Amino acid sequence: MTQSIIKPTKKDHTIAKLAAIAIVLSVIEFFLPSPIPGIKPGIANIIILYTLVRFDFSTAAWVSLVRVFVSSIIVGSFLSPTFFLSLFGAIVSLVLLYAVQKLPKPYFSIVSLSLIASFGHIVGQFIIARLWIIPHDSIFNLLPLFLISALIFGLFSAFVCNILLKHKLKKHTF
Amino acid sequence: MKKILQYIKIIKLGDTFVIVTFMGLIFWSVSQSWNMPSGQYLKIENNQEDSKVFSLNQTVNKQVIGFLGSSEISIAEGKVRFVKSPCTKKYCIHHGWINKINQTIVCLPNQITISIVGDSESYDTVNY
Amino acid sequence: MRFHKLLLIVILFLVSCSQKAPIYEHKDFIFGTIVDIKIYGETEEKSENISNLIFNDFKRLHNYLHPWEKSLISSMNNAIAAGSVFNVDDEEIIRIIQDNKNLASKSENYFNPAIGKLIALWGFHQELPNQMVPKAHQINELLANVTTMDDLKINQSTLSSANRNFQLDLGGYAKGYALDRAKKILANNGVANALVNIGGNIIAIGMHGDRSWIVGIQHPRKPSAIASIQLPPGWSIGTSGDYQRYFMDHDKRYSHLINPRTGFPADNSQSATIMIPPANNSGALSDAYSKPLFIAPEIEKLQLADKLGIDFFMVVLANGDILISSKMNESIQWLEQNNEKNITVH
Repeated sequence: MTQSIIKPTKKDHTIAKLAAIAIVLSVIEFFLPSPIPGIKPGIANIIILYTLVRFDFSTAAWVSLVRVFVSSIIVGSFLSPTFFLSLFGAIVSLVLLYAVQKLPKPYFSIVSLSLIASFGHIVGQFIIARLWIIPHDSIFNLLPLFLISALIFGLFSAFVCNILLKHKLKKHTF
Repeated sequence: MKKILQYIKIIKLGDTFVIVTFMGLIFWSVSQSWNMPSGQYLKIENNQEDSKVFSLNQTVNKQVIGFLGSSEISIAEGKVRFVKSPCTKKYCIHHGWINKINQTIVCLPNQITISIVGDSESYDTVNY
Repeated sequence: MRFHKLLLIVILFLVSCSQKAPIYEHKDFIFGTIVDIKIYGETEEKSENISNLIFNDFKRLHNYLHPWEKSLISSMNNAIAAGSVFNVDDEEIIRIIQDNKNLASKSENYFNPAIGKLIALWGFHQELPNQMVPKAHQINELLANVTTMDDLKINQSTLSSANRNFQLDLGGYAKGYALDRAKKILANNGVANALVNIGGNIIAIGMHGDRSWIVGIQHPRKPSAIASIQLPPGWSIGTSGDYQRYFMDHDKRYSHLINPRTGFPADNSQSATIMIPPANNSGALSDAYSKPLFIAPEIEKLQLADKLGIDFFMVVLANGDILISSKMNESIQWLEQNNEKNITVH
């Protein structure tokens, strides 16, 4: 009982490190120009995927949510519509990831995880946007564009994450 | 290049399934948005009187008197369907929702037609 | 065989095309507003000729009835202000004045075309209003001895008024009167189906093919229609609104619809819309009688509508609530969600 109540565990350290990288990536992405407003590669997802494969679901969920909150505070969008879009996208994405990671490994690789995660982001953001920001069905006209970008960036994230995983597995860091 | 090849190798059967489903979703969403615009108004015709035009921009159930009796249609924010009909086969109810311009449900037994029309037909001039 | 079928389809297609009933639309800018004439089911040449006849008549009326530019009415107003007698050798103007006397007295002078001076004081006798609230003593001076149509005396072909403040302003009548003129011209030329819109005042002649003409009613605060309604053959519809001619001063809206009893612009309504059944002067009625319903205090509106025999009316009150007659409510189609509006059916 002499210990302080909050003692960072090893897991906390892992979360902190990975979340820090994810946050940096998010903030960089925030300042990069986007060809189409609202469409972003979501490179921070690479870290979430990495965490999920390398560690476990709960670590990945922590990293994802810490990333959403902290990066929005850094770029000054905390509690703004952008923040809620990003938060809800992350939540839906995590819920889908939780289900997908239970699929048999021999048939589903990181590619499926990545695609379904990016799909989740789109779905979550569209739900919030339809209910709150643009309460009209015309918003669904944007769906094809977002789905195509989700497919491309989902494949890309899986590609990068695959390289990272191989690399890190050799060096046994993290 | 080598890395891309390596990457392609990790794609498994289930992944292919996910990618194909994803592409299917894209095709579906593209075809849906091409079919836009959805209509703004509902035209109801029956055997008794002139056709009437209602806004689809509301949530309301309406009774329409037809040849056999009263049918009920339901308007719900941009779409419309039959919910009750005195006809025997209830094809009109099974048809479900319609929301796109020129979509029509005809209930032949009760002689009621509901169809979606665009903005252009809603009025001829504006009073101000 | 196949060729024959194709031919049949082509012929059917051509026939259906040629039978598509045509609508010809002609627009012009008269009375300081847009005049829009739609003619259904006539040849383009005929509809154009008749539209020109109507436009020419409207231009004549403009030069005849205009309240502040050079016109017959302006000359009369100048004569009265100078205390002299005005000679008119013109049956039409006498009839118009008689009609205005009649409408004003029936509407308990809520429709009062005799207060041109008050309207000018508020700055509405120019294209762009003054944007200035007049001084109280100026208003009170005119209110102390408020002019009515009764002040104008007709003696055969001479007009005079003992009250030299009398200024006739037919701004609330001329467009409606022009509708009735258009109706006559269309009838004289055998046009059975047309829709005439003069700055928002509308008369329906016949139908649009097998259905009635449908009119959108402007939302007083949004750039869209609030509702639409079928205008049966011969009916007219008119709206008085505070969103066409007005100015803002200290966040308060002052419209051109002046209450003759207070001397101030009426501020209990945003718009008043009425529909008038077929009659010789239905156009003029739809223009003139929308004013009393706009201007009168809320509690008097319903009585006034009954007294004037207006069965179809809708008033958007200042707070956005809607007062609507039961007959109007039965035929109107709301074009926007009603859940935020408070509708009272009378």
